[in-house]
Amino acid sequence: MADPAISRLHTSDTPNDLLKAVARGDEKAFGKLYDLIAPRVHGLIRRVLRDPAQAEEVTQEVLVEVWRTAARFDPARGSATAWICTIAHRRAVDRVRAEQAAADRLEFVGRAAVDTPYDEVADEVSGRLERQQVRRCLHDLTELQRQAVTLAYYQGHTYPQVAALLGAPLPTVKTRMRDGLIRLRDCMALAS
Amino acid sequence: MSADVHALLGAYVLDAVDDLERAAFDRHLRECPACQADVDELREASARLAGDAWSVPPPALRDNVMKAIAGARQVSPATAGKRRPPARLRLVSAAAAVVVAAGGAVYAVQEMRVRAEHTRVTSLETLLAAPDLTVHDEPVTGGGTVTVAVSKLRDAAVITLNADTAPADGHVYQLWTIRAATPVPEGTLTAGEKATVRIVNGIGNASDVGVSIEPPGGSATPTMPLAAAVHL
Repeated sequence: MADPAISRLHTSDTPNDLLKAVARGDEKAFGKLYDLIAPRVHGLIRRVLRDPAQAEEVTQEVLVEVWRTAARFDPARGSATAWICTIAHRRAVDRVRAEQAAADRLEFVGRAAVDTPYDEVADEVSGRLERQQVRRCLHDLTELQRQAVTLAYYQGHTYPQVAALLGAPLPTVKTRMRDGLIRLRDCMALAS
Repeated sequence: MSADVHALLGAYVLDAVDDLERAAFDRHLRECPACQADVDELREASARLAGDAWSVPPPALRDNVMKAIAGARQVSPATAGKRRPPARLRLVSAAAAVVVAAGGAVYAVQEMRVRAEHTRVTSLETLLAAPDLTVHDEPVTGGGTVTVAVSKLRDAAVITLNADTAPADGHVYQLWTIRAATPVPEGTLTAGEKATVRIVNGIGNASDVGVSIEPPGGSATPTMPLAAAVHL
């Protein structure tokens, strides 16, 4: 505790601090950051893309982009994790829309359960806790809010596609997405 | 339109908007710092959803990434401070071709995640970032949407056709502008194509954009009834 070197070591292990070090070209910090965030990035991309080989490819692209653009991260606007997940999600969604014609995709999704359990989840304590919390907060949402948010986030659908899948009017879906996220934000804030 | 755009907040944060809507929302954000704060907060919440999708990548991926970053150039903090343009514009699904008319020449850009074609796409970005951009949507007969984004200031428009199905029997979609009550052809799709993005430079006095269904190769005047009509 008293040793400043040790406490410095600890504080520099948060994703925010690591990302700031990465922005200065610190490859070692990037390695640490990789270990902290790669399972989340890979998990998210795999969930959206479903194809393991493509998911690996996009994960690699995203992580290299994190290295390249780390200087753009602005801690005043949010956490490093959220910044990285935003990049990852956007890349995954772009890929999914590029790869699959809307019609194929709708049919595919029709067959897939909304909440497909993931089979290769690492049995890590941090991952498990995080999952529990996310699921608890998702259950706090109304049914339509939850469907609207998860169909968009985990499956990469646009809101018109979500509206079609749910048989709900477009303005309703837009509102549910926003309200669902607000509720999610409040639930997460309470828990952390 | 501003209220309209703001309703997209949730969809925008979830990446559930198309590229035109994203461009419109990005513009909205530049004029609305409070909205930017809302976006940042909700992004924080949506990113937590990634925590439910935890999956350790194969060890080889780590090696690949570390190799790839070694010596890879980084953006400098100086340029990073500038707001990112609504960058890496991906206007269409891969099924579609981005067709950009520049100086009379027509370039077909087949690949959507275009890196080499960046300079051409820039004109699209410039257009979509125009301060007076207005966006009009109309349904296409048989399902789908045609979206027209117009900027009088840039004297240009981008027409995005996203039909659910291609016309039957080898027929094709053809795009038109209506100028002084006269239809002007603005491009013809090929058989089987159901989506496209076209920039029309010199939108001038055009009052409408139309989509018709024509024999292969297109026609000199549109066959009625139109599959879609957008009043500008």
